[in-house]
Amino acid sequence: MTLFHFGNCFALAYFPYFITYKCSGLSEYNAFWKCVQAGATYLFVQLCKMLFLATFFPTWEGGAGAYDFVGEFMKSTVDLADLLGLHLVMSRNAGKGEYKIMVAAMGWATAELVMSRFLPLWVGARGIEFDWKYIQMSFDSNISLVHYIAMAAVVWMFTRYDLPKTFRLPVTVLLALCVYKAFLIELFVHVFMLGSWTVLLVKAILTGAVSLCSLFLFVSLVHSN
Amino acid sequence: MFEEASEVFDNMFKSSFPLTFIVFIPAVLILVSPLPAEAAHEFTVYRMQQYDLQGQPYGTRNAILNTEARTVEAEVLSRRCVIMRLADFSYDQYQKALRQSAGAVVIILPKNMSAMPQDIVQQFMELEPEMLAMETIVPVYFAEEDDELLSIYTQTLTSSSSQSSLSAAEVLLHTATANGFQMVTSGAQSKAISDWAITSLEGRLTGVGGEDLPTIVVVAHYDTFGVAPWLSYGADSNGSGVSMLLELARLFSKLYTYKRTHAAYNLLFFVSGGGKFNYQGTKRWLEDNLDHTDSSLLQDNVAFVLCLDTLGNGDSLYLHVSKPPKEGTPQYSLLKELETVVASQHPEVKFSMVHKKINLADDMLAWEHERFGIRRLPAFTLSHLPSHRSAQRSSIMDVRSVSPSSRHGAGEPPAGPHVDVSKLSRNAKVVAEALARVIYNLTEKGASGDLQIFTEQMQVQEEHLSAVVDWLTAQPRAAQLVDKDSSVVSTLEYHLSRYLKDVKRHYVKADKRDPEFVFYDQLKQTMNAYRVKPAIFDLLLALCIAAYLGMMYLAIQNFGLLYSVVRRITQPKAKVH
Repeated sequence: MTLFHFGNCFALAYFPYFITYKCSGLSEYNAFWKCVQAGATYLFVQLCKMLFLATFFPTWEGGAGAYDFVGEFMKSTVDLADLLGLHLVMSRNAGKGEYKIMVAAMGWATAELVMSRFLPLWVGARGIEFDWKYIQMSFDSNISLVHYIAMAAVVWMFTRYDLPKTFRLPVTVLLALCVYKAFLIELFVHVFMLGSWTVLLVKAILTGAVSLCSLFLFVSLVHSN
Repeated sequence: MFEEASEVFDNMFKSSFPLTFIVFIPAVLILVSPLPAEAAHEFTVYRMQQYDLQGQPYGTRNAILNTEARTVEAEVLSRRCVIMRLADFSYDQYQKALRQSAGAVVIILPKNMSAMPQDIVQQFMELEPEMLAMETIVPVYFAEEDDELLSIYTQTLTSSSSQSSLSAAEVLLHTATANGFQMVTSGAQSKAISDWAITSLEGRLTGVGGEDLPTIVVVAHYDTFGVAPWLSYGADSNGSGVSMLLELARLFSKLYTYKRTHAAYNLLFFVSGGGKFNYQGTKRWLEDNLDHTDSSLLQDNVAFVLCLDTLGNGDSLYLHVSKPPKEGTPQYSLLKELETVVASQHPEVKFSMVHKKINLADDMLAWEHERFGIRRLPAFTLSHLPSHRSAQRSSIMDVRSVSPSSRHGAGEPPAGPHVDVSKLSRNAKVVAEALARVIYNLTEKGASGDLQIFTEQMQVQEEHLSAVVDWLTAQPRAAQLVDKDSSVVSTLEYHLSRYLKDVKRHYVKADKRDPEFVFYDQLKQTMNAYRVKPAIFDLLLALCIAAYLGMMYLAIQNFGLLYSVVRRITQPKAKVH
């Protein structure tokens, strides 16, 4: 029943995206093609990031146990390109104000899902061998969806000209957290030696916190006129 | 959304044809691609023997496996792979597994064989021929233990033994969450190897003094036998025999280089293959030399044939004969010289002659000398074993076992049969001295029993013997594994040609229509152990995922609620006015 297992993981990964697309009213705005364009931008940005990393960052040869904090920190800084990409998508996309965020985030997250999770699931979950990591991967994709929505919202807020002065700092902090989330998770894993399910929980909590804060800021910004 | 998606795809298909290729073909290819395997654990397994001898099949017939693993304690064993450890192995359990038509049996051998207790090793050695005598369709594999295999075994053990003693609900829960293992072998079904050539080697030292000199033949078979061909290293049987033959070749070739010590006997050395399969190498060699050639050393004047078989240990020597030698014959003088040498130089050795008539009705001949006896050549076999039925001659437990304890001599000797180099060199000296006394006729010339020829520069070199045994036991030398290009054969050929002249190879191939022996392949395979979950688990997981998705759906539908809550929290000012 291993194709069944693949079906399980696939459903776990894809249905939230599907539900979100349906329920956020994007379907009424003919936003499918725009989401695909956002996905294409994602691919382009990832390619640029990879080229940049490959060219300027040497491969780190060190001991197996030690963790190159500085190197990984620098690598995570390159993820700023993600923010630029989201901004690019949102500025080019026509569309009513808030829906820009949803379109950009949905397209971006779906592209990431297809590129980075579909193939491992197809290849791994279909095999005879059972491993919990495929279910974890699917959960992780759900968390990524929330993360990208929050990230898109924060980027949108950052570029608003009518952002109050008091909001500048929280928005910047949230932005930084979004970018360095992966780095922070790695740090936690390394320092505390967390198991795989615990890592998932930590990721969920962190993303939940970031998205809640960005929701608060978003609401107060939108309705403070 | 689907309408939009289908619109997009429609446009794609109608307008840009190449695009469809780019999308479709990879998709199709990915769908039909074979699944790469990623196992929990991959390990090498060695299959039990499979061969036909004189039309009679022996051993296991099957080589493919794709079944779940269980241990013997489980109730249902049919079509499952039964895993046993050597320490817990018992013949009853093995037979129980076979009776319940198990899919396969995997026996896990410990890393350190010499650490096993004596009685288990002994019991296993006794069981080996019995296991082979039963013709089984079930493949039997042997694997060497490592940590992962051991953990697989313990996990399977807990799940198998708990099946029998729990209530129904617990059993259900257990089956739903248990971690099972699926054992799969790579490789095809076993088939007979056609045109397998068993190689034997011969070499000679010619005596001085004209034609028609008497010939002494020294024979040892180099192949090994055990319940699994890839695990039969045969240290004592017959690595000891071959190393002693090489040492005798070296010593006598040294004697024969000097004119003063060049004797009037031809010495013919024969390293035979296929010895454990009823001495096929010797049989064909004799046929070729006696029936198909005009002149051969074997036809003219053979004094006697001395076969060396399992001489690496023990404090007794037995000279096995099929006909007690008559007085006045060279065989009789060898017998007497052996007695003399042992009595005067090595009194701790018990020497005796064992007389056993050749029984042609038996499936297998007892000792190698019987092959010569059938062709009316006087022959004996020298061995430290009193009986040819001894389990030591065909056991995988017969290893060199250079574990640290035995190397430094501090620990106990290894449990199974093994080679004690000091005893091997003592036996080699006995044989060399006795042969020299026969060749140079020393007793008639009045030499006393204490006269030792092989001393000082002519000494029997223990390091040489030890090195040869070490090299021989470094690889398995089962007859199915040593073909004519094998390194064992070419190294033996090289060594023989250093001391002997006219070193020749001799090949035996089975007859096409009525083969005396048939070997099968697929003796060493890779087995993969995949961690699997039972089918119920997938259903359970599907239920849980459905529940989770239902919750997600509700959450997203009611996201508006959260939005309004947040809005109310961030705008308290609107109320205070």
